[in-house]
Amino acid sequence: MPLETMISCEALTKRFGHFTAVDHVSFAVAKGSIFGFLGPNGSGKSTVIRMLCGLLEPSDGRASIAGFDVAQQTEEIKPLIGYMSQKFSLYDELTVHENLNFYGRLYGLKGAALKQRYDELIALTHLEPYLHRRAALLSGGWRQRLAMACSLVHKPSVLFLDEPTAGIDPVARRELWDLLFEFSSQGMTLFVTTHYMDEAERCSHVGYIHMSKLVVCGEPDDLKQLPIVNPPDTKRIDVTCDHVTTGLQAVRKLPGVRTATVFGQSMHLLVDQDMQDSFILAELAKNNIPRADIRPIAPSLEDVFVALTNNRNVDPK
Amino acid sequence: MKTPFRGFTAILYKEFLVVLRDPFTLFFMIFPPLVEMIAFGYALDTDVKNMRTIVLDQDRTEESRQLVKQFENTGTFKVVGEAQSITELADLIRRGKAYVGIQIPPEFTRDLRAGRSAKIQVLIDGSNSTIAASALNTSLNVGFLNGLRAMAERFGLRELPVEVRPQILYNPEMRSPNFFLPGVIGIVLQIATTFATAMSLVRERERGTLEQLMVSPLSRWGLMLGKLVPYLVIGMLMSAFLFIVMRWVFHVPIAGDITALMVGTFFYVFALLSLGLLISTRAQNQMQALQMSMMFILPSVFFSGFIFPRETMPGIFYAISTVIPATYYIELERALILRGASLGDFWFHLVMLAGMGMALFGLCVLRFRKTMA
Repeated sequence: MPLETMISCEALTKRFGHFTAVDHVSFAVAKGSIFGFLGPNGSGKSTVIRMLCGLLEPSDGRASIAGFDVAQQTEEIKPLIGYMSQKFSLYDELTVHENLNFYGRLYGLKGAALKQRYDELIALTHLEPYLHRRAALLSGGWRQRLAMACSLVHKPSVLFLDEPTAGIDPVARRELWDLLFEFSSQGMTLFVTTHYMDEAERCSHVGYIHMSKLVVCGEPDDLKQLPIVNPPDTKRIDVTCDHVTTGLQAVRKLPGVRTATVFGQSMHLLVDQDMQDSFILAELAKNNIPRADIRPIAPSLEDVFVALTNNRNVDPK
Repeated sequence: MKTPFRGFTAILYKEFLVVLRDPFTLFFMIFPPLVEMIAFGYALDTDVKNMRTIVLDQDRTEESRQLVKQFENTGTFKVVGEAQSITELADLIRRGKAYVGIQIPPEFTRDLRAGRSAKIQVLIDGSNSTIAASALNTSLNVGFLNGLRAMAERFGLRELPVEVRPQILYNPEMRSPNFFLPGVIGIVLQIATTFATAMSLVRERERGTLEQLMVSPLSRWGLMLGKLVPYLVIGMLMSAFLFIVMRWVFHVPIAGDITALMVGTFFYVFALLSLGLLISTRAQNQMQALQMSMMFILPSVFFSGFIFPRETMPGIFYAISTVIPATYYIELERALILRGASLGDFWFHLVMLAGMGMALFGLCVLRFRKTMA
């Protein structure tokens, strides 16, 4: 059964004067999926989100949510979408309770319906202990939960999260993702921007935007199979040893080693297919690193994006 | 709920809470107006009374003492010392010991009795024009009156041939608080209310909450009205408070209808709050909002007739004054408070205020684009 398309962009473009912030971006997001939108700062991620939310008018191209055009049918789209901005925009003077009540009323909830939704969201986000605390006094993780609760008050079909995990602790980050998976399983479509590769790996689909252009878009596993990521006659290996930085300097000079990057206590190499492990071990031994473990690995998403970015930088097209 | 005011009650609820929680805004709405009222009520009293005066009496007769007494009786002059020479007299004025010096020459009584013109000299410090003008007028009056009396005596008349009996209506003691305080209320209301709304929307823009509002189904009318109403309530309470201070602290009687006064105030505050909102649709940050509000406040101070009468202004400034809400409000206030006029006589002012308010409000709703660009 083909999946229903929830978000679609066709040659979506935004220009600010002479600067093109988003350049002919096209992609589609299926209902119920978690779409991870990646790219460096200033690459145009937030601009795409703002156009999809109806905050910015596209200069060119078109985009739609649930079949409604984002430029023409904003009023139809508004009840369908939730938006959690980078800043977790809350009213600092208001308490948790008041913030939530305000957003509920803003979306037309009142009386028993408001109360019921309020209770559900408090239960979901575990905000009970802080109900009467001013939003200004909440820590990052709790602010994020409150912002999330506020953006969910009207049960949106699509939730946009602009760097939801920037600056919050790992526990809160993990819990947020658990929630996102739960929403996704209930049929909500999630559109998440992030800088974290581990978060990107969790998404059902990812798009990578660089210099205002969408470089690639697809399922993480498919992207890892791209020819550009796996050049013919190469393999990826993990070398675990002591003194990784010394080792890196050494192996980089070897013929047949195409790229080498440190990953914690090991290094990831892209080497020629016929490269012998013993050749690497011998070179390491020459540099006073007597022991090393070598094993084959699959490319990570980071490898994918690095390969694609390098390729674009070389090729002006 | 597809009403044009979608989201109005939500914004109203939030805005009241935010205003009440923000002591900074409340402080700036209440405190500066009070200070300004006190400043204008007490310090800026332009009634010229008890000016320090030095006398150089070279005549030293009953007549010359009588003349000095007449000067003192006007209330404008207060003799604080005597000089021995004309140089000393001029020196005392230059050193700021006195504003006025009266020199009565030795031949004063002799000339008076002989029917010749008896001359006296009055030296006035012209560095403050208000004071100088008042001293000049009063001393000329004293001289004229003396001259007329002497003439009448000579012709055997018991009364002066012509006597002017001026009667000042509506502010009989010519107290300057009566003139200034209604105007001060008009100006401080403008400062407080324009800033309040100009800042409140810009703050949301800076914090990013405006973006959050714009992805919601909130309507523009709902947002603007929700922003305006809380400050309208505060503005009305504030004006009532200022009128109470004016009436019972500065004893400026309110001659006219208080309901009429409050209706006029309502339209005035509404117009100013809309002006503040209009500024906030333009300003990108609080600094800009502040500067733009100042830009509108200064003309109100100078061209509204608050300090300088509009009628004597050059044409261009008079033209500016006709589009300033404070012009109409201050005229309305003075008419209602001091002259006890009825609203019926000043319906034009009321229509102008209401019209400006609605035009400004409509403009800011139209100008406020839901999109960011």
